[in-house]
Amino acid sequence: MKGLRGIVLAVLLLGATAPLYLLLKVSVSAPAEVMTPHPTLVPHTVTWRHWHRILASGQMAAPLRQSLVVASSVAVLALGLAAPAAYSLAQLPVRWRYGLLLALFLCRMLPEVSIALPVAVVFVRWGLQDTALGLLLAHLTMVLPVVAWVLTTTFGTIPRDVEEAAALDGCGIWRTLTRIVLPLALPGLAVSGLLAWLFSWEEFILATYLTLEAKTMPLQVYYYLYQGNWFVTAVAATLMTLPVLGLSAFLQRYLRETNLAGAVR
Amino acid sequence: MKRRHLWGLVPLIVYLGACTLGPVVSTLLLGFRDPKGHWGVGAFRTIASHYQFTDAVVNTLAITGLGLSLELCLGLVAAVILAGRLPAQGLVRACLLIPLGVPTIVSASAMRYVFGTVGCLNEVLNRLGLIALPIDWTGNRWLALVTVVVADAWKVTPLVMLILLAGLQAIPRQLYEAAQTDGAGPGQQFLRITLPLLRPALTMALIVRGVDAFRIFALPLALAGRHLPVLSTYAYVEYLEYGNQHTAAASSVILLLMILMTIGAYLRLAGPGEVLR
Repeated sequence: MKGLRGIVLAVLLLGATAPLYLLLKVSVSAPAEVMTPHPTLVPHTVTWRHWHRILASGQMAAPLRQSLVVASSVAVLALGLAAPAAYSLAQLPVRWRYGLLLALFLCRMLPEVSIALPVAVVFVRWGLQDTALGLLLAHLTMVLPVVAWVLTTTFGTIPRDVEEAAALDGCGIWRTLTRIVLPLALPGLAVSGLLAWLFSWEEFILATYLTLEAKTMPLQVYYYLYQGNWFVTAVAATLMTLPVLGLSAFLQRYLRETNLAGAVR
Repeated sequence: MKRRHLWGLVPLIVYLGACTLGPVVSTLLLGFRDPKGHWGVGAFRTIASHYQFTDAVVNTLAITGLGLSLELCLGLVAAVILAGRLPAQGLVRACLLIPLGVPTIVSASAMRYVFGTVGCLNEVLNRLGLIALPIDWTGNRWLALVTVVVADAWKVTPLVMLILLAGLQAIPRQLYEAAQTDGAGPGQQFLRITLPLLRPALTMALIVRGVDAFRIFALPLALAGRHLPVLSTYAYVEYLEYGNQHTAAASSVILLLMILMTIGAYLRLAGPGEVLR
């Protein structure tokens, strides 16, 4: 029984890590080791050729900038719009709160293609294609329900008594918010911001509909993938993944307790 | 009476109403009109006669069915193992969760190195002596389907595992102790205690994953392209390649209906309280 468990666990671990290992391996392999009928499983030589080529070409700079701008503004605006809503939601009577949270849950479950289509049609008319603003507006539609959902839990854990006490001591609503509520909610806000950022960083469907030229990171990776150059794709994909792996591990740890299923995709 | 500050809800509701529900309603309307602006079900008739659309429906359902079975089995096994005592538990857990942090498009690229004709899987199978000639994993429709299912399962099984693990950890230990004193073996304990008490977590995983599987987009597009249409990519190709908004909208409406029916079934089954726990 113990032995069987060990074997199963080893297989699962291998399965979970192997594709990422292959990605890294291809990005530093000589083509002769990969594009043959019998590719090596462990690289015999390591070459940084593909990395040099990509970084020197400067092709990643524009997508990187676009993705950073969009993801960061999505995170900020998502907090700006969802935090007040979540604060209010947490104060509602249970029945109303459940109803609204259920509505948010349904919003999260809507198919992206049915949102993207009319948005793309309108954005072409308004000249919002290929702009960071357009992507920001589109990403918010999918991010807001999730962020509001998670933040409602955050604000729900702050005792109302603390606020009432502050009010009794003569704090106005703004002072109570900035001095009492926001500092207490800071960890939850940080996590939700990160969640929004990561969502936007890897978002693919809406970006595909709204972009012709100004590619984001996922679109750039897809572009290389479509062209069929395995090495360039591996480098771009690694560039896009490594910086966020740690962030998302941190996020999973924190979200474990709260509404995991609604939050992680 | 406590004071409530409800003004905070206004911006969110306005935004979601205008930018999320608005587009969905307008997709509905688009689907029921033709290019001249007449109302009708012409677009639905058109897509029903496309063999790619029928393929897309079958593929979407097959990916969802196969994918859910695979993910639930693997996720349950992993969750049961993680719920027990393990050496280096934190590290094992972190390693199993790695795929969850990998962007979907990146997992698609990584899967090309696994499933490519000169990919790693063919080489491993060859070294094990199981195949003599490399298999073209995305060349044939059913193999391509399996490839997409495995690629999707790779990324999301950790999520299923986490949901089930949370469910497992909520089961009181005393139940197992009592069962043991009464002489129940491990198999019996699993069937009589674990599975029934895990039902809410299983339904939750099933629904969240089911809806996501209906909406699958990047993996079939990146791994098999046009050879493996699903509902999302069918709508995408209709709009962006053929410029036909109405058929794209009609197929989005079908997808929307499938999702709403799934959620409706879940709410009937579980009750809203369970979704919002």
